[in-house]
Amino acid sequence: MKVSLPGKQSPFFKGEINSLSSKTWRIVKCRTKAFLNALQIAVGITLVILIWQGLALTVNKNIIPPPWETLRLFWVEMFSANILFATWQTFSKVVLALLFTMIVGILLGLLLGLSDSLYEICRPIIMLIQAVPVISWLSLVIFAWGIGWKGPVYIASISLLPISILTTVSGVRNLDKNLLEMARVYRVTRQKILKDIYIGTLMPFIVAILDVSIGQAWKVILVTEYLCGGKGLGVEILMARMNIDFPRVWAVTLIAVSLGIIMEKSVKFVLWKISRRWMFV
Amino acid sequence: MENIPSMDVCLKVQGLNKSFGALPVLKDWDIELGKGERLVILGPSGCGKTTFLRILSGLEKPSGGVIDKDNLKIGFVFQEARLIPWRNVEHNIKFVDGQRDMKEILTRLKLTGFEHYLPFQLSGGMRQRVNLARALIIQPDLLILDEAFASLDLKIKMEIIEDIHQLWLDEHFSIISVTHDLKEAVLLADKIVISTARPSRLKRMIPVPPEIGRKIGSSVFLKMESDLVKMICED
Repeated sequence: MKVSLPGKQSPFFKGEINSLSSKTWRIVKCRTKAFLNALQIAVGITLVILIWQGLALTVNKNIIPPPWETLRLFWVEMFSANILFATWQTFSKVVLALLFTMIVGILLGLLLGLSDSLYEICRPIIMLIQAVPVISWLSLVIFAWGIGWKGPVYIASISLLPISILTTVSGVRNLDKNLLEMARVYRVTRQKILKDIYIGTLMPFIVAILDVSIGQAWKVILVTEYLCGGKGLGVEILMARMNIDFPRVWAVTLIAVSLGIIMEKSVKFVLWKISRRWMFV
Repeated sequence: MENIPSMDVCLKVQGLNKSFGALPVLKDWDIELGKGERLVILGPSGCGKTTFLRILSGLEKPSGGVIDKDNLKIGFVFQEARLIPWRNVEHNIKFVDGQRDMKEILTRLKLTGFEHYLPFQLSGGMRQRVNLARALIIQPDLLILDEAFASLDLKIKMEIIEDIHQLWLDEHFSIISVTHDLKEAVLLADKIVISTARPSRLKRMIPVPPEIGRKIGSSVFLKMESDLVKMICED
């Protein structure tokens, strides 16, 4: 009769224990990592609030109000009809600017990426647009359209367009010529080549364009609303400043920042879901 | 260069020339390939073997000569697998719009169970099998192998050559392959053509009797190999 000695296990049993423990270990490791991340974020936020409080105590309290006062106002303003309407106005402008930037930028980037001579012809114009400061566009826009939604959308779009075009050009130049040759040999349809090769190659670049553009679009729209907008969060900040209501300036800014972050995270999440079809995830 | 009188002609190349600018690469290539016939091209590096295959598949235009390949369906097995990295095995094979049954081709090339793998999850040998499956799914009249097994180890190379042989026996498509490996050449050929260095001409055509091609390591096989070495080094 075979008797197993205490402390000695069959290799099968031992293996099972090992695999179980390694699985548990992986879960523990993941959860610890997530906990540490959350802790680090919490420490970061606490640090910001502490510095803020410190500044409120040392600098003029009217210019930098204490964090609790701003947060209280942030909570009240967030649900006021006025701010909700302004938020919708700003949000629509950001979406319009991003849509324009993505559609026009990617299409132009595709064209310029495919034709070297066209790229060389258009490069000075792109460089020029990239170098023109927002304030110069603003002067032109006020003369052209006056106060309203067109100015902020136009300025945000034109400021972001060069990034979108140049990133797409890099993506097109990154196309694997061998894959295109393979498709030619098998006479694959253009739609299939576009869907399976072009979009697949460009997907990381499209994600990168959005990554850079969302935050930038919010900032530019707020500034331009402040200077030439009819309605929106930028205008609300302007009104608060004119009324020397600094806590409100900070509260509206906080709303804009929070919305920017939420939008960025949501778009990235959706893009991640879509791009999984083309990426190794 | 004499031609073997044979069956129906599936490909006829006459006086083919190719130059890249002032650089002549191919000079007066004449090749006739029968239906179901297997041709291997041997020659020094840079003599234009791959250029010839690229001309056949429509990737390059010839500078002169006539190629008669009416409605020939061509399957091309590239040296590197050229798989779409973000598409799985099944999608990579389907990409070329083949009419053949996917399951059958996966089974025959020992790819069953790997349908949903991405190329980076496969070994070099498996990737070449997918490359071959993609070429065969279109039910080609002509299969082109461009140093298709150059990067594979001997065992996997032999396995894939055997798979191709079995598929060829069943379906009798024509094959043109380019290689530097003499064993591979004898195993895959009904006839071997040897080209000179650039600007290359076809200097010799050697028929490979079927009984030699299947007897790897036999004295006749080894003799054929050594004869080929002599012929290649003749220049």
